[in-house]
Amino acid sequence: MKPVIETQHLSKWYGNVLGLSDVTLEIEPGITGILGPNGAGKSTFLKLITGQIKPNIGTCFIKGKKIRNNYPLFSFIGFCPEQDAFFDELTGWQFITGLLRLHHYSPAERDDRAQKALEIVELVEDKDRVIKSYSRGMRQRLKFAQAIAHDPEIVVLDEPLNGLDPLGRRKIIRLIKSYKGEGRTVMVSSHVLPEIEAMTKKIILIHQGKIFAQGDIHYIRDLIETHPHIISIKCSDPRLLASNFIQEEFVLNVKFSSAENTLLVETNNRDKFFSLIPSLSVKNNIEVEEITSPDDNLQAVFDYLVGK
Amino acid sequence: MTQKSTGKLSFYLTSLKDVYSFFFFMGRKSKKMKLFFLISILPVVVALIIKINQFFSDRTAIQGIYIFNNMTVVMYLQFLILILALFYGTSVCSEEMEGKTLTYLTTRPIAKSAILLGKYAAYTSLIIILTAIGVTLSFFILNLNDLLNFSLYKILLRDVVVLSLGLICYTSFFTFIGTIMKKSIIFGLVFSFGWENVIQYFPGSTQRFAIAHYLKSLLPAPKTGRFSFLMFRLEPSPPLLAVFMILLITVVFLGLACVLFSWKEYIFED
Repeated sequence: MKPVIETQHLSKWYGNVLGLSDVTLEIEPGITGILGPNGAGKSTFLKLITGQIKPNIGTCFIKGKKIRNNYPLFSFIGFCPEQDAFFDELTGWQFITGLLRLHHYSPAERDDRAQKALEIVELVEDKDRVIKSYSRGMRQRLKFAQAIAHDPEIVVLDEPLNGLDPLGRRKIIRLIKSYKGEGRTVMVSSHVLPEIEAMTKKIILIHQGKIFAQGDIHYIRDLIETHPHIISIKCSDPRLLASNFIQEEFVLNVKFSSAENTLLVETNNRDKFFSLIPSLSVKNNIEVEEITSPDDNLQAVFDYLVGK
Repeated sequence: MTQKSTGKLSFYLTSLKDVYSFFFFMGRKSKKMKLFFLISILPVVVALIIKINQFFSDRTAIQGIYIFNNMTVVMYLQFLILILALFYGTSVCSEEMEGKTLTYLTTRPIAKSAILLGKYAAYTSLIIILTAIGVTLSFFILNLNDLLNFSLYKILLRDVVVLSLGLICYTSFFTFIGTIMKKSIIFGLVFSFGWENVIQYFPGSTQRFAIAHYLKSLLPAPKTGRFSFLMFRLEPSPPLLAVFMILLITVVFLGLACVLFSWKEYIFED
């Protein structure tokens, strides 16, 4: 598939502070999550690919064309900024139609598109209220609405779930997932792993201005074969089981959990470890009640990659 | 002109019109506009007080047009248009920065210079309307006894045009200042009530470094009266040169503001 967004050796610094360093990427249609802690360079990257700031080194192409100062390209891009900022004295409707006016639509088309966008984000009933009376969740949805109102091929969302309650998060996640259809490209940034996980498996890990890894979660797991995993086992005799595990070379650490009869084992080879459990259990007559992997998510991968 | 460049120009003009409409609408209903409407109406209140005072006073009434002329210089030219131009001109760029709303504009298919020019035009139109309303009301109140003297309306028209030129020029200058510095209001106040109010009284060609000099060159110097000291030492430029200089200053500062706004990177502060 042809990449929609391409960056070549993209670097950006603010005075002495490094914002982004030598980022070369190709982004294809679908949802791509940009993941990294605060200050990692996510917003800088998104601002660079939307042409809001210029790189010190490198180039960014959208649909094969340089983005910087190429304002006609913005017809294809919808951007939802991180900051909770609006033209507060306007109503939701005026905000959306006003920004659509800047896309040079006729009044009828503006109304039509604004109506559709507000329907998608479920704000039609509140469209005539001034924005400053909106809740945080409504404001986030309004930001999303202005990003999609002109039906862009590329939607860039900077921390769209920030400050939302669980219900608000679910709504936005649902909106983002539903928007990726029809070959659109959605880029969404977050510093919270489960948020990204809920939206996509295609991720870019970014830290200290550098790309740590890119691909889907399985690809990233393959990249880090030695990534230690913690496995929790609830059984009838955790002490006996622990004494058996400790002899194995792929077991790095064994701890007793605060939970009753629960053992926490750290291993660098999950496959070997799991194949060992049944034989040990039978041999020592230990009843295993439950096996869970508390760190079997992106957080573990991410923490490992950034050397936490 | 080729078809391609005509198309580009037409697209640019459409962008200008769209930005203008957006900010004219938003500016019209803003709280700031309500506040400045009240401020711009102050001379009307003063005119009303003068008229009431004249009505109940036994002293010989001073001609309404004489008071109006002085009011144009003292209250409008030397105070109100500076305040309006300062607060609206600097806000063309700074309110987008402070409100962190610049992103919504710069991610639209519009040239950055069109954003700046469209917003400048919208705000300048609004403050010209504000000023024209105040000036016209003051004129009618002060000349209540002489409203059938149609020659006076020429004076009203002239003053409205001169004040509008002043607003166009000062707003352009302050728009430039707003794009270049963060503390633009402080600089603007120093410029308005320091430089502009002092340099125009300097003898010789020094006074030509003040915008107020060219504006005052378009108004007749008062012959006598208490306020004549405000025109003291004015060595007016010819009217055509004055208009040319006002327009030149406007174009130069707007051009610089456009270049700067398009080139400069605006980073929001957390």
